[in-house]
Amino acid sequence: MPSLSYLVARLLQIIPTFLLVMIFIFLLVRLLPGDPAIAMAEAKATDAQLEQIRHNLGLDQPLPVQFLVFVKNTLTGDLGRSIMLKAPVTDIILSRLPTTIFLALYSVVLAVLLAGPLAFLAASRVNSPVDVAIRGVFQVGLSMPVFYIGLVLLTVLAAQLRWFPVGGYGKTFLANLYHLILPALSVALYTSAIILRNLRASLIEVLDADYVQFARAKGLSPRIIMTRHVLRNALVSTVTLLGLSIGNLMSGTLVTETVFAIPGVGRLMLEAIFARDYPLIQGLTLTFAVLVSVVFLLTDVVQSWLDPRLRQS
Amino acid sequence: MKRILPIMLGATLGLLAATSAFAIERGGAMTFARYDDSTVIDPVYADRNPDLWMVNGLYETLLRNGPDGSIVPGLAEAHEVSADGKTITLTLRSGLKFSDDSELTGADVVFSLDRARNTDLGPWAGLLGAVDKVSADGNKITVSLKNPDPTIISILATFNTGIMPKAAFEKAAGSTDQEKARAFFAAGPVTSGPFVMKSHEQGSSMSFERNPNYWRQGEDGKPLPYLDRVEFLVIPDDATRILKLQAGEVDAAEFIPFARVGELGADPNLKMELFPSTRIVYAPINTRETKKDGAKNPLADAKVRQALNYATDKNVLIKLVTFDTGKPMTSLMSAATQLHYGPAPLYPYDPEKARQLLADAGLSGGFDVNFTTLAGSADDATLFTALQQMWAPLGVNLKVEQVDNPTRGEKNRSGDFDIHTYGWANDVNDPAQVTGWLGYYKQRQAVGTGWNNQEFNTLFEASNVETDPAKRKDEYKRMQEIYAAEAPLLFLFETPFAVAVSKSIEGYVQTPLGANDFSEAWRAD
Repeated sequence: MPSLSYLVARLLQIIPTFLLVMIFIFLLVRLLPGDPAIAMAEAKATDAQLEQIRHNLGLDQPLPVQFLVFVKNTLTGDLGRSIMLKAPVTDIILSRLPTTIFLALYSVVLAVLLAGPLAFLAASRVNSPVDVAIRGVFQVGLSMPVFYIGLVLLTVLAAQLRWFPVGGYGKTFLANLYHLILPALSVALYTSAIILRNLRASLIEVLDADYVQFARAKGLSPRIIMTRHVLRNALVSTVTLLGLSIGNLMSGTLVTETVFAIPGVGRLMLEAIFARDYPLIQGLTLTFAVLVSVVFLLTDVVQSWLDPRLRQS
Repeated sequence: MKRILPIMLGATLGLLAATSAFAIERGGAMTFARYDDSTVIDPVYADRNPDLWMVNGLYETLLRNGPDGSIVPGLAEAHEVSADGKTITLTLRSGLKFSDDSELTGADVVFSLDRARNTDLGPWAGLLGAVDKVSADGNKITVSLKNPDPTIISILATFNTGIMPKAAFEKAAGSTDQEKARAFFAAGPVTSGPFVMKSHEQGSSMSFERNPNYWRQGEDGKPLPYLDRVEFLVIPDDATRILKLQAGEVDAAEFIPFARVGELGADPNLKMELFPSTRIVYAPINTRETKKDGAKNPLADAKVRQALNYATDKNVLIKLVTFDTGKPMTSLMSAATQLHYGPAPLYPYDPEKARQLLADAGLSGGFDVNFTTLAGSADDATLFTALQQMWAPLGVNLKVEQVDNPTRGEKNRSGDFDIHTYGWANDVNDPAQVTGWLGYYKQRQAVGTGWNNQEFNTLFEASNVETDPAKRKDEYKRMQEIYAAEAPLLFLFETPFAVAVSKSIEGYVQTPLGANDFSEAWRAD
């Protein structure tokens, strides 16, 4: 297992990341033309009304002052009030976050379940018709945008065959498994295509490595060779990839949640940007930063467990 | 026989109408798929369309907009304007109750109107700017004005003057009005309209239930609404919203893209409703002498603006963008707006006239024009491509600039554009709102065009205090003539509100102002 000092060092690295994210997002949203007052009033307000709105939101303060207020509030756990939804940002994000996390985990599980066994199958019969077929099908999955896969699944499985509901979100865990299967699947098809290609390639490489040949020569059982030597080595790069794709997945929810009408943080981000809802954009970006950092941290931990060499560095 | 036929037809239609009236069924629920969610359905704080189009479902106004656009009685059974136009007297119906069985009295009306005109609160207070004092004596409500204001009757039928329960609102937690409003609406507010709000899950769903104390009677002589419940689902993606309707999971879907109107109209299970609206699609033209970058602006010359209008084939645009559901503009305001004057479509396609006007303006050699569109909008992309082709033969080189909505708003306000796309729908059943917005320089520099016409401005100011309806009508006619001739806009088209409804639902209406009206909807299966 990774040492405690490794974990602490890894955690400390997150702090400068957050600071950078905060500065970047603060400046970036303010560099965009158009402000919340204009987005809010849908152009109907007079200039005097706009000034009043800006004053109420503290947007007439100089940028450094606004930034200090933002940092101070964030450190005290106050992300401000959403301009668009007129409620505390923390409450809004906390109410939407579980949906997105559920969707992300669901699609990762589906992707691994899909890609894992098929990668083994393909790698054990390299260039056989089975291998070619598997790779071919997933190549298609990789080349189609997620929203398109989503719409195709919706049209065929939900609207025509009526096996699943068209979008929406359930109330219980089981209802969610049922409601979210199509969005999870459309994301999973894409992710699994990436995992499959990578896992297949590293399996082929490892299966051919000297130490595996040696293990075979030593007379170890195929099962032990597979779990102790092949899998453990082949998984290192796949875990990295999985971690990265979970990071991508977070941004992918922007599209998926809109297409499937899922009230998660991804769709919220899109709406917040169009409304120039600075506090909400900032809060959501921080949330995404936390999520991605946690995923990357977990990735590193798993990797260093798989590969002791990584613990040194 | 020629004379008998219409009579027979009339009789048959009458009979049909009578049977349909008897066939109204009560009870049940309908599910409505929306493009966006509401945030606060408070008459005073509602500031986005998904909010203000829902207010009338919860809060009834003193007067109402009738189906033909005229003002009809609401909570007040009668109203009278004094001869000097400065006092409005309204008579409240007797026996009115809120959804919690408490009595709706004059005190609630005074409270609601005072709140609506408090400039420290919502964005709509200016609509009641002329009001000096509101008082109540029994069921007599008196609204005293500082100066005559012909729009005030329409404002008393507008969502922002919905009547709220004074006692229940003041009991809500919080010290400021904003805090109280939040607490009041979070708890499932006490209402005066056809429905109460049973639940609301932000960004996902909302549920309205029948208010048993609503005052209006249905065709069967019992109180409205007919439905027990209306469920709302928020589905921002157009394609998903339509799929949900086709799968039978919802009973209606709003904002159907015009490209899909034909297909859904052919679906045997659906009715494709195209509700007349006050929505117009137009393009403000920068009329300032110099552009933002200091260059001379050819569009400052009215002849050039007229030429571009003549060079635009509106019928082709209507076909391409609205799939023949739209209509050409006949005035600055939609034909569904009160006091609209427009005998014929403005600037019918005439490339020859356009060429002549450009030559008169000394621009036969052509010039460059920037066209600012919404990034990601298929309609805007189509508009640009079509206009580029229509104007190229005149030497007008149209260049596209794609931005998002807040950026477009910013450019409009700072005058940093040549021509850009825009849309509008009235919030008030009166022409002053749209006319002030599009043409009055002192309000917003005539929708950012910088067009400053003295005669128009004077007429607008006069019409806002004109108590004689006939004179006001004349003033509006003249304003619309001036505006049409001066062309500070590229006049494009009016569009309907497209809502696809299941055949089993009757009586749902989206009003010309956009409001979703479920009060007379019923389920036929």
